[in-house]
Amino acid sequence: MSEYLDPTAPVAVPRKTARRPSSLDGLVVTLLDISKAKGDHLLDRIEELLRERARPKAIVRKKKPTFARPAPEPLRAEIVGGTGVLIEALAD
Amino acid sequence: MSLADPGLDADAIEELYARGVTDGLPVVPPTRGRVERTIAASGRGPDELIGLVPPNYGRATVEKIAVNAVMAGCRPEYLPVVLAAVEAVCDDAFDLHGVSATTNAPAPLVIVNGPLRGELDINCGAGVFGSGWRANATIGRALRLVCVNVGGARPGEVSMSTLAHPGRYTYCIGEREEASPWESLAVEHGFAPGDSTVAVLAADAPLGVYDQRSRTPEDLLATLAASLAVVAHHKMTHWGDTLLVLSPEHVRIPGDAGWTKAEVRRWLWERLQRPVRELLPGRDGGEGLPEHVLRKFPDPARDDSPIAKFRSPDNIKILVAGGTAGRFSAIVPGWTFSKGSALVFRPIRTP
Repeated sequence: MSEYLDPTAPVAVPRKTARRPSSLDGLVVTLLDISKAKGDHLLDRIEELLRERARPKAIVRKKKPTFARPAPEPLRAEIVGGTGVLIEALAD
Repeated sequence: MSLADPGLDADAIEELYARGVTDGLPVVPPTRGRVERTIAASGRGPDELIGLVPPNYGRATVEKIAVNAVMAGCRPEYLPVVLAAVEAVCDDAFDLHGVSATTNAPAPLVIVNGPLRGELDINCGAGVFGSGWRANATIGRALRLVCVNVGGARPGEVSMSTLAHPGRYTYCIGEREEASPWESLAVEHGFAPGDSTVAVLAADAPLGVYDQRSRTPEDLLATLAASLAVVAHHKMTHWGDTLLVLSPEHVRIPGDAGWTKAEVRRWLWERLQRPVRELLPGRDGGEGLPEHVLRKFPDPARDDSPIAKFRSPDNIKILVAGGTAGRFSAIVPGWTFSKGSALVFRPIRTP
């Protein structure tokens, strides 16, 4: 029997999806604009609906410098440290 | 880690396809013997880390890259080129995270300069973007397999390109330095003529430019500028690195007239400027200058201020390639938004 080598690699930092809350009440919600055209239109509407339908503690708006790259580390740290829920808008 | 499965011995090609580790074409089964011979030819240690491959940041060791190179059909002596290409795409300046995940279409184009082109029979001449040369076919393919198997760029899962293009099977060319009146792309970027290098460009498919009648630099460059103007969108501005591949017959026109490469770049860059009033969204298409730029002009519909297609003349990268017959060139549009990907070089280390 031949021995074959695996072409895949384990990821450097394994990631898992965060737990989803059952309610937005009392949570800080961050709306992240990824800097794509009209992303702000979508987030404006989501913010309106959140204010109508939920009772978050606060709604915070953030923006990535460019959609073409991951969010910079300081921005990620700011979001992780200060928010309960993140909504990211792709738009176009 | 080894793959142990009776299915592999029964039909390794089918089993590897079923495991989702191919590009859809049959691969060479990566037996330990083949991989070890490939690693040995590079003179590097199997555990040496070449880079963390976005977006999953999988560990690309020499061995892991060699496994993918074997699967792609590489001869062992190609591995140093593949290692350099992997190192280049893992440079933050290349933004492989964006390149692999975007809904746009880019694929890393590998450009080889220097003496190794001849030693490895990397095609720089007739049909340079086409099929028929093992080195071009398999070096580009190996890089794609590394992006998928180590970086996690699986099409339709993480790699969400709406259309992509055939360069995602393989995309590798050499510069035909011997047919150029100018310094090579690598020498222009600080390398010595005796160095062998790779450059990687996040690139759309090549766009052919036909011009069989121009005989002066001004005529030919006007043709090329008009085709460069539509890169990404005819009203896209502030664009970054994009490659102009001049055929030997085309490059002789500015070369024989004594133009330098820098002069050609400058001419094209100046020609590729349009007034604000022609770049408004909704005029000749919904795209146009973004709102934050338009706000700088009190009356954009009447403003003649010139806006450049490319951020600087240096973003127009020029090399010579292709067959000696034919007045055809090609534009390879970069996926090079502001703050996005850029052309990245790496020297090729041979044992």
